[in-house]
Amino acid sequence: MSMHTSLRRTAATITNSTTSILPRLPTQPTATTFICSQCRHATLLRRPKRPYTFTQLITLSDGSTFTHRTTSPAPIYRSTRDTRNSLLWNPSSSKLMNVEDDEAGRLAAFRARFGRGYDVNTPAEPVDPKDAAAVKEKEAAAKAQADAEQEEEDNLLDLISSFGQNEAPPPEKKPFKK
Amino acid sequence: MAAREPSRFLSRALPRASVPSIRPQGFLSRRNVSDEAPSRRLSDHLSELESGSSLSTPVPEGAAQSFDPVARAKARKTQLPRGRYQFRSPKYDRGPLHPHQPPPASDPSSRLFVPGPFSAPRAEQTYDSTVASDIMSLCYVHTPPGFKPPPKAPRLREWDDSSPYHKNRVLRGPRGGDVLRLLRKPIKFNNIPEIERITIHSYVNKAATENSSWLHVAGIAVQAISNVRVETFKSKTSVANWGIVPGRDSVAVKAELYGENMYHFLGKLVDVVLPRIKDWEGVKGTSGDSSGNITFGMEPENVALFPEIEVNYDMYPPKMIPGCHITLHTSARTDKDARLLLSAMGIPFYGKIVN
Repeated sequence: MSMHTSLRRTAATITNSTTSILPRLPTQPTATTFICSQCRHATLLRRPKRPYTFTQLITLSDGSTFTHRTTSPAPIYRSTRDTRNSLLWNPSSSKLMNVEDDEAGRLAAFRARFGRGYDVNTPAEPVDPKDAAAVKEKEAAAKAQADAEQEEEDNLLDLISSFGQNEAPPPEKKPFKK
Repeated sequence: MAAREPSRFLSRALPRASVPSIRPQGFLSRRNVSDEAPSRRLSDHLSELESGSSLSTPVPEGAAQSFDPVARAKARKTQLPRGRYQFRSPKYDRGPLHPHQPPPASDPSSRLFVPGPFSAPRAEQTYDSTVASDIMSLCYVHTPPGFKPPPKAPRLREWDDSSPYHKNRVLRGPRGGDVLRLLRKPIKFNNIPEIERITIHSYVNKAATENSSWLHVAGIAVQAISNVRVETFKSKTSVANWGIVPGRDSVAVKAELYGENMYHFLGKLVDVVLPRIKDWEGVKGTSGDSSGNITFGMEPENVALFPEIEVNYDMYPPKMIPGCHITLHTSARTDKDARLLLSAMGIPFYGKIVN
């Protein structure tokens, strides 16, 4: 190794001198001296260096674990924020959508006292039992309408499927499920 | 192993010199006038050669009889030191013609041998068990039997022979730029895109403007997060603002991750580090070099989120923790396939998706 580096150094210094010597050769035709710097054309085979690695157990926030090799000497890594509880990886999770820390219930108490009229982006929620009944009625009406539409669609489907087979009795079908 | 048969090349080369071959005679039969010139005459050159061969020197009589390594080893009372029984690779590679050849790097006795893999990374198992088959079925394109795809135009355009100078001219590149894009073959069981390697690269300009400690810290940080010894690089371009001269200052560190290290790093990155980045939307949909390699950057404060750096955060001077660029090299030929693979492995993309 030390040999190798010293060789390189000599080679680096000599590269310039060889070019200057070449034109000088004709001037000394009687005694031609070749500068024979040590040149071994050998490359050192360096042993690859690898950092020491430990096996670490990673515990994700939902309790699932896996091991991996790492330079960190800690045997266990507990993550608080990872793919299991970040919104970017769980875009449909309603739990993560509206993160509102209300552990002491102070926000709830405030709303109980002053209502939610101050909030801009709250969904209109029924507060009185009367309103609740109204909403229920509305929902029932909407459901009835949806059922009616479903019926119509089924009729249309029957019409299509029974096209061209008039003599055959229409097959008894269960209501089309979505 | 080449080292144990020392004169492989020699033994092959020597008989050739002594055996008279037919070929030169064939040459001799074709005579030109210029051959008769005194400088070209073959016989002169041949006469300069020595007639004697070193092979003709007689071998001493007893040499062959006395050479009996097995008997010698048996006659030995005590064993030789342990190292004498095992092959040791030469320390230097002296070129392909040297009789003493180092063994290939895959040989455990080689100095370049890297043992492993020692573990089955989780990300690799995920890829093998689910991602690969999913990608293959997603990319399946059905062609009815007997279907022949319409012939495509050649990628390099020919010259119309409007000018006599077009003859033998090299073909033209495609319209709209000289870049020949990679050809995308239909994805089948044998060319499912996979991650080939990951490059972590960090350009530390303060290493040139201030002192080398920035580079040391960057190198150690990158090594810690990647499990791989880093390489340093000198600047190729000059940056006037930072006073960087090409070829003078070491300004960058790079770690190349393959195989086991790569999958461990990817799993750690996806499961632990990326979700903890504040207000991170994902990798930009426009990133990529349009041949299946996708790069994204990490700020210094995000690099500090890696568990290896977090565990002894005090070791690193807080200002010197580097940012880095992470390039995911996949065997996909287009960025679209690469994004399909990476999003299946858990890397989110956002914004306009460019293929």
